[in-house]
Amino acid sequence: MNLPVLTGPPTPRLEPALSDHDASGAKYRGLLEAAPDAMVVVNQAGEIVLLNLQAEKQFGYHRDELVGQQVTNIIPEGFAERLIADDLRSAAEALAQQMGTGIELSALRKDGTEFPIEIMLSPLDSAEGILVTAAIRDISVRKAAEVHLAQREGSRRLVEEALRQSEESYRLLLDGIADYAIFMVGPTGEVLSWNAGAARIKGYPAEEIIGQNFSRFFPPEDVADGRPAEVLRLTAANGRYEEQAWRVRRDGSQFLASVVFTALRGPTGELRGFSEFSHDLSESREAGAKYRGLLEAAPDAMVVVNQAGEIVLLNLQAEKQFGYHRDELVGQQVTNIIPEGFAERLIADDLRSAAEALAQQMGTGIELSALRKDGTEFPIEIMLSPLDSAEGILVTAAIRDISVRKAAEVHLAQKVEELKRSNEELGQFAYIASHDLQEPLRMVASYTQLLAKRYKGQLDADADEFISFAVDGASRMQQLIEDLLAFSRVATTGNPLLDTSSEYALEQALQNLHWAIQDSGAVVTHDPLPTVQADDTQLVQLFQNLIGNAIKYQAPGIPLVHISAASDGLKGWTFSVRDNGLGIDSQYFERIFGMFQRLHKRDEYSGTGVGLAICKKIVERHGGSLRVESELGVGSTFSFVFAGIREAA
Amino acid sequence: MKPTRVGTLTNVLLVEDSPGDVRLTREAFREANGAVQLHVASDGVEAIAFLRQEGQYADAPRPDFILLDLNLPRMDGREVLAQIKADDDLRTIPVVILTTSEADADILKSYELNANAYLRKPVTLEAFERLVKSINDFWLTNVLLPQRRPAA
Repeated sequence: MNLPVLTGPPTPRLEPALSDHDASGAKYRGLLEAAPDAMVVVNQAGEIVLLNLQAEKQFGYHRDELVGQQVTNIIPEGFAERLIADDLRSAAEALAQQMGTGIELSALRKDGTEFPIEIMLSPLDSAEGILVTAAIRDISVRKAAEVHLAQREGSRRLVEEALRQSEESYRLLLDGIADYAIFMVGPTGEVLSWNAGAARIKGYPAEEIIGQNFSRFFPPEDVADGRPAEVLRLTAANGRYEEQAWRVRRDGSQFLASVVFTALRGPTGELRGFSEFSHDLSESREAGAKYRGLLEAAPDAMVVVNQAGEIVLLNLQAEKQFGYHRDELVGQQVTNIIPEGFAERLIADDLRSAAEALAQQMGTGIELSALRKDGTEFPIEIMLSPLDSAEGILVTAAIRDISVRKAAEVHLAQKVEELKRSNEELGQFAYIASHDLQEPLRMVASYTQLLAKRYKGQLDADADEFISFAVDGASRMQQLIEDLLAFSRVATTGNPLLDTSSEYALEQALQNLHWAIQDSGAVVTHDPLPTVQADDTQLVQLFQNLIGNAIKYQAPGIPLVHISAASDGLKGWTFSVRDNGLGIDSQYFERIFGMFQRLHKRDEYSGTGVGLAICKKIVERHGGSLRVESELGVGSTFSFVFAGIREAA
Repeated sequence: MKPTRVGTLTNVLLVEDSPGDVRLTREAFREANGAVQLHVASDGVEAIAFLRQEGQYADAPRPDFILLDLNLPRMDGREVLAQIKADDDLRTIPVVILTTSEADADILKSYELNANAYLRKPVTLEAFERLVKSINDFWLTNVLLPQRRPAA
């Protein structure tokens, strides 16, 4: 298959074919493993050619299960389609359109769960044709945060969840790092945690080594000298200890390792244990050249910084993003392009060693502000990963321009704010309008009533009828306005939600309904009711409206009304008001909660059709929802859930 | 001295800017008590002039009872109330607020200024008539009021 040559940024050439399991293929695999993101390499047929350990972790597959398979198995939509030539575009064109853009898609784990991802694509020319490298980032946390912005309630829970997830992803990242052994030991050296790198370099699987003493990693002569205990003692005394020394693998073979120990102390300074961060030095000989190659193939802007905060390496994407030629940046302070928040995070200070400073930041997406050569600022997200070198630990930062996302977040927050304001204004308007309408209406009503009173029977029959229509219309309008005011007061003049005895609120409501209950002969019973977080006045009104309705819409016989509450565990309490009344046809279940909705003629049942709308608004203000179940001729049950609740009273 | 009002007209000052409300009040008092003499001031400035017998009100009687609306042109009801209750000659006259406002702030402010009672204007004629009748039965019939102003 002949492919046109790509125009645009230079394409790294890796020869020969990557699928050949030869030295070069292995080399590229090595580069992939060092990347902070999950990476998947796909050919033009949509088949997965290569992937890294992070990708295995993220999708939950072993790599043998994925290589050679269609990429649609893990990214069902939106990826493969983008890369394949069609009638309109050549493969090269299709790809060129997508490069360097963060594309948000949905990904599928082996266990069937979905999660949101952002992918960045870069081309890779090979003997097989153009391959595509996709850097895949799990954006569950960001997505959750975006949803959070749009939600006013429950925000704390979401933030906590996001934190938990970011801790989790941090842990997963540590676990997934294959080039470095990163593990923790207790105060006396027993192994507490074990990452993939430790398993690979030292040869022990986690289940075999956890709980064992770390002295087995030392050569027998060092153990005889008491070296393991000495290392812990030195680390505890200085906070940190670094050495290049021989270590022993599980199979007994030895290797020269660069090791950094850090003492881990609790909040009160007590020794909790140690972390070890080590690396097989024989593996890092060719790291420099190897790393430069990888850097260029990475889809994100990448900058490598040393412990002095100087830029050591950067890739073409970074040049473009910041608007500098690379010669202008190498050797310069990273603060020139990321003024705040990056350098400080990586440099040892009195409280932390460099390794600790770095360990605290790794794998977490950090949002910062970056500066272009022309002085303009733009928001970025950086992901850090460590790189051991002869110069000490270097830090690779993958830098993603998040202007678009930020703008969207700001836009969303503004919209939410606007919506909130216009809602408040509307509520205020309804209140003021109906309040001011009352005045002239009171005049109309009072004087038509006075007319009726003074002149009934003194004019002709038509006049009497006209006046009675005017009187009736005015009183109905007064009732509507009263109800409209009550409706808008639910939001505008509500009390704070405090611990409220719902049993007491019910008693108040029944007292207010005293005459209606007496006149109808209704029997109202209730179970013991709990204390809930509520606006006491509104809870009374809620019971009063629901029980009032139950008595009002009554079938022949004795009206029976029963109020009960059932605990939903964490969710709260479900209250029910059950009656043996007329019942409601299921087609009206939604409609009855709307403003001014009535199911009966005025001469059958009076009312404005606002009562249930008020009930619904009260329940919603308390974070619950109001529902009805009913059968015509049998009765209705209105139920609502109140959240955030204690035990039954 | 023995307080009494037998055989005399009861002078009531109504401070109210709405002609509709004035007429309604007048009609309601007519039904409740023929002996009530209703005087009307249509804003706060007029009310104070009436009470102090200034200008065109030089011959005005001292009212036995004052019904005061809160929202008035020129000088509002709160200011009128404050001036009455700060005046040694006028402070013994009962002042009852009669308004459409049911705002907590207005109710509190009125009592802080020593209003004798706070009433909301009912929305129906029937309720309005009942209210005026109860004002008459209580304030103008059962309540004993000082017959003269306190000695200077």
